[in-house]
Amino acid sequence: MEIRQIQEKKHWYDRYYRILFLIPFLLLILSFVYIGFFYAKTGDIMHKDVTLTGGTTLTLINSTINAVDLEKNLQSKYKDIVVRSLTDIRTGGQTAVTIETQTEPDQLKKDVESIINIKLDEKNYSVEFTGSVLSKSFYSELLRAALLAFLFMAIMVFIIFKVPIPSLAVIFAAATDIIVTLAVVDLLGMRISTAGIAAFLMLIGYSVDTDVLLTTRVLRRKETGILIDRMKSAMKTGLTMTLTGIAAMLVAYLIFESPVLRQVFLIILIGLIVDILATWLGNTAILKWYCDKKKIQ
Amino acid sequence: MAKITFKIWILIIALVLALIAINPSGYFEKGLLVKSVKVNSTAAQAGLSSGEIIKEINGKTILAMNDYSESISSINIQPINFIVMTDKGTFSYQSLTLDFNIDSNLTIISVSSNALESNLSLNSTLLKINDITISSKEDFEKAIELEPKEKLTIKTNKQEYVMLINGIPDIVVSEIPKTRLKSGLDLQGGSKALIKPERKLSQQEMNDLLLVSQQRLNVYGISDVTVRKATDLSGETYMLVEVAGLTPSELEELIGKQGKFEAKIGNETVFIGGEKHITSVCRNDATCSGIRQCLPSESGYACSFEFVIYLSEEAANRQANVTSALSENVSGDGKKILSKTLDLYLDDNLVDSLQIAADLKGRAVTQVSITGPGFGKDKTEAFQNAEKSMAKLQTILITGSLPFKIEIVKLDSISPLLGKEFTRNIILASLAAMLAVSLCIFIRYRKPMLAIPIIFTMLAEVFLTLGVAAAINWNLDLASIAGLIAAIGTGVDDQIVIIDESRISRGYGWKERMKRAFFIILSAFSIVVVAMIPLWWAGAGLLRGFALTTIIGIVAGVFITRPAFSDFINIFVKEEQ
Repeated sequence: MEIRQIQEKKHWYDRYYRILFLIPFLLLILSFVYIGFFYAKTGDIMHKDVTLTGGTTLTLINSTINAVDLEKNLQSKYKDIVVRSLTDIRTGGQTAVTIETQTEPDQLKKDVESIINIKLDEKNYSVEFTGSVLSKSFYSELLRAALLAFLFMAIMVFIIFKVPIPSLAVIFAAATDIIVTLAVVDLLGMRISTAGIAAFLMLIGYSVDTDVLLTTRVLRRKETGILIDRMKSAMKTGLTMTLTGIAAMLVAYLIFESPVLRQVFLIILIGLIVDILATWLGNTAILKWYCDKKKIQ
Repeated sequence: MAKITFKIWILIIALVLALIAINPSGYFEKGLLVKSVKVNSTAAQAGLSSGEIIKEINGKTILAMNDYSESISSINIQPINFIVMTDKGTFSYQSLTLDFNIDSNLTIISVSSNALESNLSLNSTLLKINDITISSKEDFEKAIELEPKEKLTIKTNKQEYVMLINGIPDIVVSEIPKTRLKSGLDLQGGSKALIKPERKLSQQEMNDLLLVSQQRLNVYGISDVTVRKATDLSGETYMLVEVAGLTPSELEELIGKQGKFEAKIGNETVFIGGEKHITSVCRNDATCSGIRQCLPSESGYACSFEFVIYLSEEAANRQANVTSALSENVSGDGKKILSKTLDLYLDDNLVDSLQIAADLKGRAVTQVSITGPGFGKDKTEAFQNAEKSMAKLQTILITGSLPFKIEIVKLDSISPLLGKEFTRNIILASLAAMLAVSLCIFIRYRKPMLAIPIIFTMLAEVFLTLGVAAAINWNLDLASIAGLIAAIGTGVDDQIVIIDESRISRGYGWKERMKRAFFIILSAFSIVVVAMIPLWWAGAGLLRGFALTTIIGIVAGVFITRPAFSDFINIFVKEEQ
């Protein structure tokens, strides 16, 4: 019954899908422009933390040091200093303070010792130091790895679907997802760590999941219903997947203490939200246009 | 009722294998693990070997580290009074050991600690110790028996060992690891250094560097060391050193400074490490290096190794000078040897003493043959020990003679306290995330029964991934944990696909429905795998743990847990209808 009805009446999506497509498309253009400006201003496409610029991360295991005061005290000598407090989710109390700067660890340790008046030994502090030359090469390598990963993904998509336009639609959605997420991350002023770059790679996987589902249902399940129903059913499944992912990432983001992992989850969280737009407004619209042209019902 | 299908059987078998790999037997085993026993020590001669678990010491049950230290510190050996008569007078002192040594002419050739304080002088001739008149080297051996000894009984999971000791036993013990899972430094605490050679190294040079570094850290008795080669995308090679329980400054000092090797006879340095004195060390060439013979001995087998080192003329002359002042002795096995040994020091630690053949006295030879033994319960063990000792000596000799400089480019240290917090937090957060997932599934499908296989599948995937990590000795670091979570995330996505495909294609047979679901799953799987591959090399494998656990997790998921899950759902859907 329902099927016949829809065939008679034009579905609203037939009329509006082009306009809906503009949402992710404009977002992508805007993000490109923003990242372009960001690059012109800072000389890079993202803020990097010390794991990518080179420098020192000092973690003090202490529940009483005030992070804000410590940052103020250190600012005169270290311009780029960032002091953060880590809290335990169960008690709400501070567990540690991390200090990040692009300088070498020895002097920083001495300065911090003299400010907080506590001798630092292996029991109460951790230090990570990366040389700046090495960081630079690691950073460019990770970017290269990300580009390679994207390229491999694109080739794989073509191998799987074998038709150019639907494959390009999947790649478009994945690219939108990553670029818009990067723009949002830049906008938030987040400093990306090495693990953060891994999160972007993870995003490729999460983003492509829903796109593959959509494309398969639309192009390879013609007998299960008419086009709009197949798209709807794909969307139902896909949204369950993405929303489940969002819920898991949100919980993980709230509970994890490690700033490294928190950043990973936050980036994936943003990426999953963007993915809803990129897949169900972007990829779907291209597929719809393709199916209309090829007269696929 | 539900029948256990083939796919479910595979999952069960995989889970059992993972359990074996993780091996949580440490939770049930009580005692302390013997990590190493010093070669030739009293404990080794008694038969104690590494890997055994100490249950009791002198009748006292050993459960934890403090039980052990208590037992060992309660070994209270009382010093006795030695009265030593020589041609220069009589000396009396309280001591645990004789504290001096003699040569075959009964001349005192070395004096230390208590004996030294009693003014016992060098070059005097020994006449009597307590009631034993010394007229031969054998009498002296008898006098050594006077040294006070304590009986130590160590009961392990294998057997009981009784030994007489005159000090703390030369063994290293540790708590029994709970499982075979290893956590990375960022979870357990320790130091990590990434080291870059000043120029590109050949394969052989890189291997030397790894071997020498490992050797130097071992000389310091640091046991939990990982030294491995790391390569990045542009082909640059690094050495990665990870040490548990060492501060970064200590690690930096150990690696940063060039190794100092010295060979001394008495107090005189004969030659030092480096090309200036040692022009080359024969290795991996059977004509000048190898195990020469293996013979049965009192407590098993003894093998001897031999290799040649080439000295510069300067070093050879110096050796000739020093040895010309030495006298000749006869060793226990009847060989003529010089009265002093050639002592090898690495960074001022004595690592070995070698006897010098008598015919080398006063001769400037540039080609020196170094021999030494290896003992074992059987021939194989003795052979292996001899090989090990030889490799150790060879590396020591080339230590400090590395023909290139190294630079520490990255140095990290993680406090173990923070590590403990992290581990607890990771478990808590992972459970909470799983709860969130099952809540979402419940909201969508309104069937609490569906949440059970989904949670079970997630846990199974975590367990399988950890099992593989344990089997390949992978250290789980923070990046690995992130990868694990990513893999589980895509796993949930796939399960949702399975459930929905099983519903929308109702008109088809079950097999066809699952074929459809797995087309989507396998496509997504292959995309994630190819996307992870470049990460393996990028930045000297900085994110390798991430890539690895992601791939293991999704492989386990796609090929083991999800097929089983689809059968669960089949059973579930049938019961539903």
